[in-house]
Amino acid sequence: MTTTPAAPKAPPEAFVRPPQELRTKKSSPFPYALLTPALAVLAVLVAWPILKLLVTSFQEYGRAQAFGAPPEWVGLDNYVEVLTSGEFYAVLARSVGFMVVAVVLTMTLGTLVALLMIRLGKAMRMLVTVGLLLAWAMPALSTVMVWGWMFDTRYGVVNYLLTQVTGSDWAGHSWLIEPLSFFLVLGLIVVWMGVPFIAFTMYAGLTQVPVETLEASQLDGANARQRFFQIQVPFVRSIIIVLIVLSVIWDLRVFAQVYALQGIGGLYEKTSTLGVWIYQKGTASGDFGFAAAAAVVMVFIMLLISLYYVRQTLKEDD
Amino acid sequence: MKRARNVVAAATTVTLALALSACASGDTPADDSGETAAEEAPAGDIRVWLVGSDTPEEAREHLKTTFEAENEGSTLTIEEQSWTGLVDKYTTALSGSDSPDLVEIGNTQAPAFTSAGAFLDLTDSYEELGGDDLLPGFVESGSFEGQFYAAPYYSGARVGIYSTEITGDVEVPATWDEYLANIETLASDEVSGLYTPGKDWRNGMVFVWANGGDIATVDDSGTWTGGFSSPESITGLEQLQDVMLNSNHAPADSDETDPQVPFCAGEIGYLTAPSWVRWSIAAAEDAEVPGCLETYGAEDKLSAFAIPGAEEGTYAPVLAGGSNIAIPTNAPNPELARSALEIILSDDYQEILAANGLVPAKVSQAEFMADDAFSQASAAAAAAAQLTPASPLWADVEASGVLEDSFVKLAQGEDVATVAAELDAEIEGTLNG
Amino acid sequence: MAASTLTAGPTAPAAPVVVTTKRPVPPGRIAANVLFGVLGAVVFVCSAFPVYWMVSSSFLPTNLVRATVPTFFPGSDFTVDNYVRAVTDDTRADFLPALQTSLTVTFLTLVAALVIAFLASVAIGRYRFRGRKQFIVAILVVQMIPGEAMLLTYFQLIDGWGMLNMVFGLTILYVAMVLPFTVWTLRGFVTAVPVELEEAAMIDGCSRTRAFWKVTFPLLAPGLVSTGVFAFIQAWNEFVLALVIMSRPESMTLPVWLRTFQQATKATDYGALMAGSVLVAIPVIVFFLFVQGRMTGGLVSGAVKG
Repeated sequence: MTTTPAAPKAPPEAFVRPPQELRTKKSSPFPYALLTPALAVLAVLVAWPILKLLVTSFQEYGRAQAFGAPPEWVGLDNYVEVLTSGEFYAVLARSVGFMVVAVVLTMTLGTLVALLMIRLGKAMRMLVTVGLLLAWAMPALSTVMVWGWMFDTRYGVVNYLLTQVTGSDWAGHSWLIEPLSFFLVLGLIVVWMGVPFIAFTMYAGLTQVPVETLEASQLDGANARQRFFQIQVPFVRSIIIVLIVLSVIWDLRVFAQVYALQGIGGLYEKTSTLGVWIYQKGTASGDFGFAAAAAVVMVFIMLLISLYYVRQTLKEDD
Repeated sequence: MKRARNVVAAATTVTLALALSACASGDTPADDSGETAAEEAPAGDIRVWLVGSDTPEEAREHLKTTFEAENEGSTLTIEEQSWTGLVDKYTTALSGSDSPDLVEIGNTQAPAFTSAGAFLDLTDSYEELGGDDLLPGFVESGSFEGQFYAAPYYSGARVGIYSTEITGDVEVPATWDEYLANIETLASDEVSGLYTPGKDWRNGMVFVWANGGDIATVDDSGTWTGGFSSPESITGLEQLQDVMLNSNHAPADSDETDPQVPFCAGEIGYLTAPSWVRWSIAAAEDAEVPGCLETYGAEDKLSAFAIPGAEEGTYAPVLAGGSNIAIPTNAPNPELARSALEIILSDDYQEILAANGLVPAKVSQAEFMADDAFSQASAAAAAAAQLTPASPLWADVEASGVLEDSFVKLAQGEDVATVAAELDAEIEGTLNG
Repeated sequence: MAASTLTAGPTAPAAPVVVTTKRPVPPGRIAANVLFGVLGAVVFVCSAFPVYWMVSSSFLPTNLVRATVPTFFPGSDFTVDNYVRAVTDDTRADFLPALQTSLTVTFLTLVAALVIAFLASVAIGRYRFRGRKQFIVAILVVQMIPGEAMLLTYFQLIDGWGMLNMVFGLTILYVAMVLPFTVWTLRGFVTAVPVELEEAAMIDGCSRTRAFWKVTFPLLAPGLVSTGVFAFIQAWNEFVLALVIMSRPESMTLPVWLRTFQQATKATDYGALMAGSVLVAIPVIVFFLFVQGRMTGGLVSGAVKG
């Protein structure tokens, strides 16, 4: 820790502190005017469905109710059913475990790729950008199809290559049938799809770090690691936190990839994550009350996980 | 169905009278009764949802032209749906205002919707549509609490398909034991004696039923008991597991789609599949989805048999596959839909289905079935076919994927009794609400 | 070098990114550049191979698509048959209407979401007002709710407005779907822009509005691009809602169209499926390439330096 070069013009803290004294007029209607369109959309299309979700979670709501039969109030029955089913805890543990691994991998790889892009020459950066864009632009469904097919038991290119490289016979090796290797493939897909977004966002953030600050610290003898942790990270801290929180939410909610991959192979019972499980219980099996209760419980768990961050946000505000 | 028919008897007079008045004076302004107004059947555009590619092109064409000829000024559009996620889609689509007018639905899925009030009550048209001539098992799956909601569309039963190129001089089995013995004989390092992909529980069920087992039984109080743990079922599942592990090369986690690929690679001895799979096998080598018309699928080599039962001359119960067809409650043009439904159940239409290897919706129409091995096997197998438990909740069991999971476990060599007990518990949990 | 603390485990290959010599001397710099070049190539190959595999398969005749020994390059077997089938097969819904629906829905979603989110993020990023805190927490919590549990409600809501199978109905759902995220991300960017810059501009005689547009807005460009791209890809790829809301074949979106290639009872035409996937991906790639140029262009760095 040889130096902590003070960025002369704009110390890093300035970028992450809460809204400043600049706009102090508390009674101004202006911010409310700015918020109105967003509030209108969210109230109708988010708040109302959530209210409906809460109501449904206290009802016996099946397919007949979807077709107009009056639902019956059942109090906490749905919640009791969710919380007493061993399945729920298995699904929960699986989802959280997968989420942690996926978030760590996605964030780390994404950040490293962003740093790499800064270092690369124009041509190579273009190449990496194109590669990431291709990965990112892939429609989610066909991504799963292509990966599932690359890992196909009989005709998959992965088994073919493994056979060529290792010499032992991989033909007929099923990747999706063992829950653990199912999640390996799923993890590859999710990380592959997730890294570009993290990398681009981090890159967009990191390119905002004033070049002078970095140069000054380099002259002061800071090495790359010190520059990264002492200047770049604090500068993009808010972006990193947002990315982590969002990755947590997304990877916990991962739906399309699991859903489509289960269609290709894998045991539903041992590979369902929360989103898919709720879908199976609700839309597929027609027990909307149970699914609603499960969804509410799931939100509570996510809130618990992100409680620290929510509190930080609130504190930051005071 | 007794009750349904009583209702029919009572309703027939009314319907008849209305129908007559409608015929006599098509232009008469509607009176106050909403039903009469509906009988007027104003011209409109109706949408028909057929699922998958089972309905042959010729039948679609026939339906469209006949309907449009019979109902001047109206049009009929067929919109093909996918079997994958069908229950999910119907749950929303049929409950909304933009519902189609006529929908096909898998016979095992129908109860989930008849019980939910998703379909229009067709009880008063029961006799008109064919009455007791309609396939009984399918009338049952289309009825709920004595009312008739979904008519039979077609049936199809799984038959054993083989190519003499592989089976050589192995005789067609006459009994269940011979069938098992043949499977073992045909199996080699390259060839699956019987092609049994792990997820294909529908094929696996014949092992349970052939040995006298059952999926689930219901007692007088309406409580379901899972049947996979019964001694008969266990015997069947053990036989199945033996085949899966020792006479089969299909991956444990694969399903029954695309069987023509391994079949055309010469890797299958017996394949149990709906008879129309023959057309996938007997497709040209350079077709869009290639088959092997020149080799394993050649006309003089490809044949089929109905899976034999314990005694010679009997047949093992296979899973009755097929579809019902119904008018959604929210259909915009229910009367036009009724007219289309009548065309679908007519001899002309069903004859086209029969020619393509499907078992027609009415018992009397079975005569349209062709005289080849496939159609004969189909008809024999259909006669012995079994249905899944008659519960509106059965579709939920299927939708949960628990059957696929359990059969995959068998294919992985897990303990039969344990798998069966777990499966029973799951089924009971769902069927008993 | 403690860089590995940051890059524990399997991510090791990329670790040297932050490991450089302390005092850059020419030979070391060259070695580092070569290393970065190699790493860049590795990243490129890892990202692009599945895409290449999709494209390459889409040009193969069906019998080579599913073969025990995979074909790595179409070569002389090159064919566009898969594309012809993907687009012209009349047992499926038409490609062009689906393309049009997807483009319209995505474009409208993108524009509406960006405008609404931009206004909202300025409000919460630049102003203090009663309810601000609650709003911030709310848009975070909202994102945690699994949408799959609310499909039926969404359907009933849109049905109630008579907007099933209409572009507008799907669009407003998509706007609602991406809005919490876009507001949230943009807020991060808004907060990250130093107010001092704006203040400096105001001291120089700019009005507040003018200072905002001249100074702050350009700095938000990468944020707008980033979130815009997100909104675009979300709307373009979404398929569960589209499946439920757009039940008619003529109002399908592209992901739903793509799904019709897979039929449980029918052999999947993998060649055509891959060709279809390529067609679905092309508009996104075009959009991205266009936007990416702006993101990495002089706009951002210039503004920061100024």
